[in-house]
Amino acid sequence: MNSKTIRVLSVLLALVLLVAFVPGCAKKTDTGTGTSDGTTPPKSTVKAAMVTDVGGLGDKSFNDGAYSGLQRAEKELGVEIKVLESKEITDYESNIDQLATAGFSPIFAVGFLMTDTVSKMATAFPDTQFGGVDEFFDPVPANVVGLNFKEEEGSYLAGVVAGLATKDSFDSKLNSDNVIGFVGGMDIPLIQKFEAGFIAGAKSVNPDVKVISLYAGNFTDQAKGKELGYSLIEQKADVIYAAAGQVGLGTVEACKDKGALFIGVDVDQYETVANSGDVMLTSMIKRVDNAVFETIKAVVDGSFPGGTIKVFGLAEEGVGLAPYHDFESKVPQAIKDAVEKARTDIIAGTITVPTAP
Amino acid sequence: MSAAAEDRSTNRDWAAIAQKVGTPFASVLLAILIGSLIMWVSGYDPIAAYAALFQGSFGTPKAFGDTLLKSTPLILAGLGLAYGFRANLFNIGAEGQLFMGGLAAGWLGLVLAGQPWYVALPLLLLAAMLAGAAWAFIPAILKARIGAHEVITTMMFTYIARYFVSYLVIGPLKSPGQIPQTGLLPPESQLPRIQSLFSDATLQAMPFLKMGRAHMGILVAIVAAVIVWWVLKYTTLGYENRAVGYNPWAAETGGISVQWTTVKALCISGSLAGLAGAVEVMGVHHRLFDQFSSGFGFTGIAVALLAKNHPIAVIPAALLFGALSAGAGTMQLMADVPQKIILIVQALVIFFVAAEGIVTYFVKQRQKEATSNVG
Repeated sequence: MNSKTIRVLSVLLALVLLVAFVPGCAKKTDTGTGTSDGTTPPKSTVKAAMVTDVGGLGDKSFNDGAYSGLQRAEKELGVEIKVLESKEITDYESNIDQLATAGFSPIFAVGFLMTDTVSKMATAFPDTQFGGVDEFFDPVPANVVGLNFKEEEGSYLAGVVAGLATKDSFDSKLNSDNVIGFVGGMDIPLIQKFEAGFIAGAKSVNPDVKVISLYAGNFTDQAKGKELGYSLIEQKADVIYAAAGQVGLGTVEACKDKGALFIGVDVDQYETVANSGDVMLTSMIKRVDNAVFETIKAVVDGSFPGGTIKVFGLAEEGVGLAPYHDFESKVPQAIKDAVEKARTDIIAGTITVPTAP
Repeated sequence: MSAAAEDRSTNRDWAAIAQKVGTPFASVLLAILIGSLIMWVSGYDPIAAYAALFQGSFGTPKAFGDTLLKSTPLILAGLGLAYGFRANLFNIGAEGQLFMGGLAAGWLGLVLAGQPWYVALPLLLLAAMLAGAAWAFIPAILKARIGAHEVITTMMFTYIARYFVSYLVIGPLKSPGQIPQTGLLPPESQLPRIQSLFSDATLQAMPFLKMGRAHMGILVAIVAAVIVWWVLKYTTLGYENRAVGYNPWAAETGGISVQWTTVKALCISGSLAGLAGAVEVMGVHHRLFDQFSSGFGFTGIAVALLAKNHPIAVIPAALLFGALSAGAGTMQLMADVPQKIILIVQALVIFFVAAEGIVTYFVKQRQKEATSNVG
């Protein structure tokens, strides 16, 4: 009895250690300061930092995106970097406060839920520069830059792909019903931009296409995402674009189950969603890393665009489409050409993409 | 009763108390030790990490204020859980009641705009308690009448509450602007920060009062803890609650209505969780949005476990979890230890409290050794 208890205990402890050890090691390598490739980076006195939202590092989305922007700045500009992860919403203020007190500037705050906090801390620390990813300020404090994205432009390209693909038959999952689907997280203006761009893009190449939009009401419920996916496929949709955070992961499952193609969002979801290669047509990506890097670069150059909202679109390489990956050889050249034409037209200003459906 | 027997019984009492207090302490200590082992193995400096953690949770008045800020909802949620546990009810859906409490406060605060604080504050807190109690009432009735397990029903009700709040802040209650949230509560409906109650001169003279974001919700929580303790110890209501928890059949035989006591216990548990939601909305965010709670209703379970369901012990237990959370930022900043380590330490605390048997086993073993050494 006694020796059995001890045995059970030691196994449990070993498990705890093992579980802790693996991510612990992984983290260690990517938080390591200094470059590993032997080149000496240029020196800079700028200390850039970021505060993650409750998703934390490893979200394979904006937090990781912003962090890779910081890492690039460390490497190419020689700035000192620091990340504070938040576990609770009340951590936002104390994390920003501590970074500002420790002399970090610029400080990036990731996610629109931090908007109020950034405004407040910008007043408390007038000499610190802030970058708010996905945050919109009205008015913008002089020491803050809002980093926004023209999601509608990237979504327009996704719409072009979907609108042409549903007419095509390069994959067995495509039907001849000319219906495509959109899954949104919350029905708020930020997400409606995705929907509007997607519909406009699809209609521009396929005026008769039917686009069905469904909203999950949140960004986390994967079961709901799967259900919405089933519902869309039931209604004959064969290409589905999801701008819904975690909800989209459920929709991917539905697509794999019932046979439809999927267009990912925010990051190249081919890389982040396991075993999704046979349905992941492409992804609409937001280059949070570029936005963060450009902002740090501006601080280093002394041209911080404080008091403004910087909007990163196709022209600024702030949004775009990910590679087709497994579909690279299947997708007809005509579709690729149409996407390229839409991209150049939008950058040239001959196409204006709507922001509300 | 002989004197010797009396002596033995007081001895046993002391041993029981020592064990009651000792096990949670031992659990926390073990968690911290294993936590440092994990840090050491992963290549971090545990001493620097814990020093930074302490600095960030108790090191300055502001840091202590953050600890209080984070402990406040945990005390209230923990109290709610503990009260339920005492009646052998597992109100796992405290989070849902918390949401309804937050909703009541966030909505009524806007409706009562223009009322003085001494009208608004009590009404808001009361409304939040009622909302939390009401949200627990249906699972309570289901439990009492047809025996539907409260773990299932309260959990399901949590989803309903969360989506309901989410719908309201996106739709009917949304304030103008990009972000789905309600309008800012008028100052009279906000729980003031502790430091705002004192004049600049007083703060200058007594800098320990500069507790940053800590707000009067902590007072609400402490008063609630004392009231719950008093109710459980000295009132018929509390006696019935405990009696049903110990042995429902014996209680029924003794003339206590188990059904009615169950309903009351879950509703009181819900009202305390509702209060937790209210202090977050009124004291921290000053508005309602769909992510205003970081799972306080669930952390409350761990708090109640660690406190062994004693209402007063809930306060230090919540302070521990609050401090771990408040110090995590400083730990990342000063010692470069990722915040996930804190989650591991928290999980270990819960693990050892839950696996109390293991700790008791070691304590007993130690006692046996001690007695055999003496003998």
